[in-house]
Order: sequence, then structure tokens, then C-alpha cells
Amino acid sequence: MFTELNSILNATPDSFTQGEFILVSDRQSDASFLIHHFLSFYLRARCKVCFLGLVQSFSHYSAISQRLGVSLTQAREKGQLIFLEGLKESLSILIPQETTTGSQAMDFLRDPTVGLQRLYEFVRSSVRSDGGGEEGVEEWGPPVLLVDDVSVLLSLGVSAGAVLDFSHYCRATVCSQLQGNIVMLVRCHGEDAEDDGSDEGSEWLLKGVTHQCSLTLHVQGLPTGYCRDIHGQVEVCWRRRRGDGQHTQKKLFQYKVHDKGASFFAPGTSSAVL
Amino acid sequence: MLSELLQGTDTGAVLIIQDSCSYSGQHLLKSFISAALNKEEAVHVLGFDVSEEELKDGLTASTQRLHFHSAYTDPLGWTNRTAFTVHQFCVEELTHLLKQTSHPKPVTLVIDSLSWILRHVSPPAVCKTLQQLKKGGAVRAVIGLLHADMHQRGTVGSVCHLATSVITVAPGTKGDEAVAKTTKRSKSGKVMQDEEIFSIKGDFSVTVVSKTSHAGHRQTEPEEHQTDPTANLTFNIRLSDTEREAKEKLALPFVFSKEKKTALLQSGPGSGRILYEPDANDDYDQEDPDDDLDV
Repeated sequence: MFTELNSILNATPDSFTQGEFILVSDRQSDASFLIHHFLSFYLRARCKVCFLGLVQSFSHYSAISQRLGVSLTQAREKGQLIFLEGLKESLSILIPQETTTGSQAMDFLRDPTVGLQRLYEFVRSSVRSDGGGEEGVEEWGPPVLLVDDVSVLLSLGVSAGAVLDFSHYCRATVCSQLQGNIVMLVRCHGEDAEDDGSDEGSEWLLKGVTHQCSLTLHVQGLPTGYCRDIHGQVEVCWRRRRGDGQHTQKKLFQYKVHDKGASFFAPGTSSAVL
Repeated sequence: MLSELLQGTDTGAVLIIQDSCSYSGQHLLKSFISAALNKEEAVHVLGFDVSEEELKDGLTASTQRLHFHSAYTDPLGWTNRTAFTVHQFCVEELTHLLKQTSHPKPVTLVIDSLSWILRHVSPPAVCKTLQQLKKGGAVRAVIGLLHADMHQRGTVGSVCHLATSVITVAPGTKGDEAVAKTTKRSKSGKVMQDEEIFSIKGDFSVTVVSKTSHAGHRQTEPEEHQTDPTANLTFNIRLSDTEREAKEKLALPFVFSKEKKTALLQSGPGSGRILYEPDANDDYDQEDPDDDLDV
């Protein structure tokens, strides 16, 4: 959890906006450090977290979260964290064996045209707290869905429209119905602008999810090129605002990723420069 | 023109609000809903993009005449809890839906958003439904929100061609201001265009801040003050009146004026004279061969 980012987003583990759909995106950069932030943030806030890890193994996130002071193994044992290991599950689908009893979540690998309904059903069953739970089960806070990352589904043959439907359904269930939060990572290749949505690639998907979300964090490299002390810039954009302040608000920050966190500062105020 | 559209729409009007990622047209749509409710009209909302709570959040007008048909929770029938699915977007189903809540007032149908429908239903079918709604008597007016950056230009163009008015919103220079480009087609066929800067207050009332004139006539900037190059110098290069006269009188050295030509052709007093006495063999022509030259 990055304390500076918390103050930028006006959120602490004790009090944060509920029902938010946060879109983390990057273009020719790597925004996955923000996913680690949100994972440790929501675990610390004692929320029930459903994590769809489609690109890395559990041990990867576990090792990094250890540095941020959160134990994923413990959270999974206690039932706070439900982790879908996409890579492992996909193996069991592609090489089916008699003994595998994996969930149907990654069924879209068999036939990508079917869509992501099964994945949504997996999410829905994970975030719903079991009614009439066993004794000794701790009560967790509002549910949170983290997806890392959504654009890999495009590479697996799922159409961008199906991904948008999936994110819509997740939003309807997690954000609106259960007042939980969603954090999704969308990665773009920064290819040349396609012809206004005729080619439904990652840019089109990014626009679609931007329309659905309430907060976007867009990570890019510095426009001036590589810098050793500043790893890139983050543009934070608040889209929907309840009550006053109908307008969208944008802020730009530069960041540097350390061993145990990341620091955010206003452009031009890097410690290397001042 | 934005205020006119908010005040009232004619029967059979289709209004489309186009927005993009940089500025959401949701608030403007809510302003239209609020204005319609204030005029005591019945408003039916087909909600795909927003939930009922989010739509009603902040609307101060009486929501008694607002009927929300939720297509947000289950638009594709995945959870079998549907109120309205995207595939029910056709005239028969819509008329049936609207007839369920009977009321004497004319109905305004608000679609939020058309982009959702266009992703699942083919554009020709959507256009056909819109056209039938326009011509039929079930609704008085249709207001739709369209995310222009999510579709091909052709699709956006086709849908907007059906509309009687199109408002394209974009972010403005200041924080809470936005720019609205409005195109209105009246029944007589006349097309009016306008560009305004507006802002939306907390109660969803729209304030038009200023009107920028049509794209063709830019506001004429005040003429730039001509700077005087002879000012602020350490030496004086200004001319007095006599000096200016003398300067204009001066004949420049290499300009071949009329005076110079006559002076060269007619020899002055005291200069050498050439006497020529032609021989018998010479062909002496008195005429000057260079006479026709216009020098």
C-alpha cells in the first residue's frame, strides 16, 4: 500500500469510497505496481477480495505483497482472499485429466466465442458472503474484485464486446448491488489509432471500460523519454461524482517505484531534481 | 439553442447526445430528464449504463412520473432476473412496456445508452426501431445517449441522421464548463447549428455561460496595435516635413525616366556633332530604326 497514493485518492483502509469502479490502464508501460497497491490496500481494509490473476502465479503476488507487509497465504487460508490462478486453471482445461475438478471459470478457453458468463458466475459466487456460515468465520467488509489483467483475454480469443459485457455484469453485481469496489487493469499496446472502433482491440476496450468506470489511473512513460529517477507519470481522473462537483477532475503525477513501495509527486518535484 | 431544446421538444422528436471518454454526457441527459419532469411529463428510462439509484441520485424533481426500466442488472439474461434485456429493444416490446403504466400525458422515452444496444443489436435494426418510434404514436419524444468514440463513424452517422437534434458535448477550458455543439433539423427541412459553453449545477439545471458564434465567423479580434518602429531608439530616424518632401522629389540614379531618355537622345550644347555624308553605295534610310522601341 502506497501512502502517497492513498492521500491522492483520499482513501485510507478505514474509510474509502464504496461502489467505485477503478480502471488502471497503461500504454507501453507497466501499471501492475498499482495492482499490488490495491491488493494490499483492500486486504488491510478487511474487505473480502476476489482476485482474478490471469497473468501471474499466486507466488508472484505473494512475494511482492510480503514486501508490502501483507501475507496472501494467510488471507487465503482465512477465507478473506479468493484467488483464481488463471495460469494453472487454464492448464487443467487445455490438458484435461480425470482427476481435475477445477472451477468452470476458465471455460472460455475451450470456446472463446461463448463469452465470459462462467467467469462472471465464478466472481459472483466468490463475492457473495455465504449465508449461514460456519461458526468462527470472520465477517469481512464489502467485497472487492481485482482483475489482472483484462486485456489478456483479448489475446485468448475473447471478443472485446464480451469483455465489456463481463465488466458490466461485475459492476452491476459488485459495485451497485453489494456496494463493493472493482479494480481492473487494461493494458494497451499503443498501436496507431484504429479506425474509430472498427478494429475492436485494446484501445476500444479501454474506451469502453472508461465509460463504465468512476476513477481512472492511466500510467504512461515520460513523454521526454527514459529517466533513471522518474519511472513515468500517472494521470488520475475522477469521472463520476455524486452530489456536488459534476465535472470530471484530472490530476497528473510522476512516480518512482522502490523496493517496498512507490512514491508519487507533482511533475517537476522529484527528489532528484530538487 | 440548448435552452430551447431543454424547454420543450416537438412531437416525433429524436434527440441524441453524443459524448466521449473525456466528457460524459450523463449529466446533460439527467438535465433533460429533470426538465421533462418539471414540465409534468411522464418519463420512461431504459437504463443500460446506470443503475436506478445512480440515475435518480440528485434528481430533485418529483420522481413519481419517472419510470425506470432496469436493463442494468441483467441485460443479457445471464442471471434470469431480467426486467428488460437488450434483445427486447424493438417497437412491439417497447410499446407493450410503455402501455403497462398508463397515463394521459405524452411519454418521453430516454435511452441510456444507445451504445449498449448498438453493441448487441445491429445498427440497421436499431435505426428501424428509432424510426418507428419517431413515426408511431407511442412516445412523444426520444432522447438517447450515444458514446461516439465507441462506434464506427458510419454507425454514429446513421443513427444521428435519424435524429431531429444532435448535441455533441466536449470538455471546456474551465473546470466545470463544457462545450455543446447543437444541430437541429426542423420539420421544414431547415438545419440550424449552434455552439455554446454551458455548465450544469447541482440540481441538474443547465446554465448557458456563453454563446460562441458559428464556426464560420470567428470573433474578430481587436486589430493589433501597430507598433511604431521609430520609437524607443537611441538615435533619431524620424523625418520632418521638408525632409520628407525632398526625399520624395529625389530621382533615383538607375531609374530610366523620361527626362533621362530625352537628355541622352538629344545632344546637349557643346557636345560633339556627327556629320555623315552617305556614299553612292550606302543605303541611307532617314528613319530611325529604333523608333518603334518603347524605351
